Amino acid sequence: MLSIDGVTVAFARRRDPVLRDVCLDLAPGEQVLVLGSSGAGKSTLLQLVSGVIPHSVVATVDGTVTVGGVDTRDTTVVELSRTVGLLAQDPASGVCLPTVEEEVALPLENRAVDPAAISGRIDTALAAAGVGHLRERRTARLSGGEGQRVALAAALVAEPAVLLLDEPTSMLDSAGVAAVRSAIASSVARYAPAVILVEHRLDEFAGRAGLDALPGRSIVLDAAGAVAADGPTREVLSVHGRDLIAAGCWLPLESELDAVFGGRSGAAGPRTGLSSPGVRAGLLEFAGAPEIGAGLLDLDREPDAMPPTGTDPNAVPPVLAVPVLAPVLAAPVLAAAGLAVSRERQPRRTRVPRRPRRGRDATPAPFAPVLADVDLEVRPGEIVALLGANGAGKSTLLLTLAGLLPPAAGAVAGARPGMVFQNPEHQFVAHTVAGEVGFGLAPGPATDALVARLLDNHGLGHLADQHPHRLSGGEKRRVSVAAMLAHGRDVLLADEPTFALDRRATIGVMRALRAAATDGTAVVFSSHDLRTVATLADRAVVIAEGGVVADGPVFDVLRDVSALESASIELPALVEWLLQNAGSDAGVRRALLRLDDQVPADRPAVGQITAVPSTVAS
Amino acid sequence: MTVTDSALARRNPTVKFALLFAVSLALLFVFDPFTSAALYVIALVAVIASSGIRPRALLLGHLPFVGVAVGLVLVNALSRPGVEVVRFGVLRVTEEGLEVGAALGLRTLVIGVLSLGFIVSTDGVRLMTSLHRHARLGLRVTYAVLAGYRTLEELPREWQLIRHAHAVRAGVDRRGRPRRGLGAFGRAAFALLVVSLRRAERLAIALESRGLGLSPRTTWRPVALTATDGVFAAGVIAVVGGVIAASAAVGVLRGAEVLAG
Repeated sequence: MLSIDGVTVAFARRRDPVLRDVCLDLAPGEQVLVLGSSGAGKSTLLQLVSGVIPHSVVATVDGTVTVGGVDTRDTTVVELSRTVGLLAQDPASGVCLPTVEEEVALPLENRAVDPAAISGRIDTALAAAGVGHLRERRTARLSGGEGQRVALAAALVAEPAVLLLDEPTSMLDSAGVAAVRSAIASSVARYAPAVILVEHRLDEFAGRAGLDALPGRSIVLDAAGAVAADGPTREVLSVHGRDLIAAGCWLPLESELDAVFGGRSGAAGPRTGLSSPGVRAGLLEFAGAPEIGAGLLDLDREPDAMPPTGTDPNAVPPVLAVPVLAPVLAAPVLAAAGLAVSRERQPRRTRVPRRPRRGRDATPAPFAPVLADVDLEVRPGEIVALLGANGAGKSTLLLTLAGLLPPAAGAVAGARPGMVFQNPEHQFVAHTVAGEVGFGLAPGPATDALVARLLDNHGLGHLADQHPHRLSGGEKRRVSVAAMLAHGRDVLLADEPTFALDRRATIGVMRALRAAATDGTAVVFSSHDLRTVATLADRAVVIAEGGVVADGPVFDVLRDVSALESASIELPALVEWLLQNAGSDAGVRRALLRLDDQVPADRPAVGQITAVPSTVAS
Repeated sequence: MTVTDSALARRNPTVKFALLFAVSLALLFVFDPFTSAALYVIALVAVIASSGIRPRALLLGHLPFVGVAVGLVLVNALSRPGVEVVRFGVLRVTEEGLEVGAALGLRTLVIGVLSLGFIVSTDGVRLMTSLHRHARLGLRVTYAVLAGYRTLEELPREWQLIRHAHAVRAGVDRRGRPRRGLGAFGRAAFALLVVSLRRAERLAIALESRGLGLSPRTTWRPVALTATDGVFAAGVIAVVGGVIAASAAVGVLRGAEVLAG
């Protein structure tokens, strides 16, 4: 069905090829999972198969790619689309037509499907993606998650023989991931396409069935873009688990735990993951008191795999040094009282002539706000996680707290907060990374020193002269965080700060936020990823049903089953197990942090040209 | 904007588009206010009756055209030489000026009300489908226009997001609000450009990977071109032609010669 033979792909502006001598054969109906850290060339591989490379994106391609018997170099993307269906990253922005049904009809029209059959197939495809009710909706009114599922329906509706899925769940909450999983599973069962899947959130994608729900075959792309492994998924994950963790990839939990604790007594045996006694013992040891944790050096970690700790490699990492759930006694730096938030008000308000208004108070609005009666106080040095389903109003609340949207009711008091947006590109204003971080500050030696220190702390020193738009996803995010921290605001708000990042970048952002909190900044961040929340947050606030349904110490909230249910949030298996077994909240936190410590802060030396040491903010 | 069903909405979009164009063209040769006024009244009644346009939309839609029309009347009344009607200091209003101005203003209103009827009764996708099928517009152009329309729809949201994202780090004025100078505007515009270019790139890839341009292709909901459309077109032409002929017979019709005289 598909044959990639010794392919090397290089882009004009990059010194090193993105893909190196890649070989991959795929039989009809065969499914393969592509693993690799960000920048390993996973998306490039998919673009190669779809013909986007070299037809739409200019690149030098050596070797041959054959899809359905034709060479992709001689066949246009349009011609290849008879065989290949593509669900691109950020598919919501690839929705082209004004209404959902027209969007899904387009691939069928293009393949000359009998018009009489089209309507039925639109229904089937939308229902399979769990969005049957959206058929007549305007595409402009879809949320990110809805758009993603509509795009999936459009990719599946023509039943392409090869299906390319590039992070099909990135925008979705748990309910959305389940819908996408079942849509893909049902198509695969119905007409057995060959599938190439690139996915970060493997546990959520696999659901309860675990590894068995993932494609049976996996390939690993290393940092240099070469195929480092190709074989049955279980085998690849068990043989290469450690390397994949070190490379900063997300792994299914089962594989991650087996890789981390695999060498231990009792770990061998038929049981894997959380059900293995060896893994359980290891996790409990990780959860144990710091003194016991210090004995973990027997775990055969390489010296450079140690978390960065400044000067002394044996010192307790700064992240660990932070007392878990520090008592917060200081006065709040940000306080919302009786706050109602909505985006609707904004356009109306700009038209109304300005009337004198004191503070950020506003008169009650006559419409139903997204959230109402929100009371929220944030104190210096604490990290608050904001949880809720897609569309619950997390972003709107953050924008209102930031003073960017006027409250629909109630008031926000406190100094002006800083905010990091979900898409860092929206924030970029300068042409260099250094300029970006120094933007809005008075020029002078003090600013230069501050910028230099922030660049260094966030591992951006070697990128100071680069254009912010040219960086990788993780680097862009770190730039946006560093640029906001440069303003030294008392409160830092962050909208999904770890969204779509690989594991190394996620840990990097978490450490940056923790470091800011240690310096006394109050941090409020929204997230779908409860493992990140359990690792980072001191406090959690759950919003659902138009208001706050839970607010308290993070582990108390994570134990509050009914609150999580009302926000349709599912607890990841690891967090659930630790909450039940780790013995203490501090133990849960320690175990999660130690698991993150398995990921070295620097990329492995492979393919690295400039080995600039990046240190974590301390 | 969704299109509600109406007599006008059921007509072929290409036919409507062509008629709008033809009527506008014919009006270019009419320079007296009586013919234009008669056509305006007929067009107004026809649009209200056939398109089901809501009064509020009709009134609001009129605003820009009324603005232009008033401007045309004023400029012509004050600047055209001829028999003086009234004088304000150095400004003199002429009879010829009023006549030509009123004719041009009413012409604007006729085109305006017909355009409103066209817009509220025509769905974008059906228009493009029909233009492709009945006016031989290229498929790539057709869908590029639709995808471009999508990008335009997204622009206000992106702009808002970017302005918010930039306002966070902007300096504040004495009242504590972010300063929004020309520089900030330029930076936001640049960010919008970058974001839009990326989006356009993704849209292009999405359209191609969905097989746009394969042949043969089918059309799911083809836009019909029926005998009724022919009757409709003939009717519109007959009415416009009839009005012009009638005003010529009565002797009120003036052509471009009034400009010279």
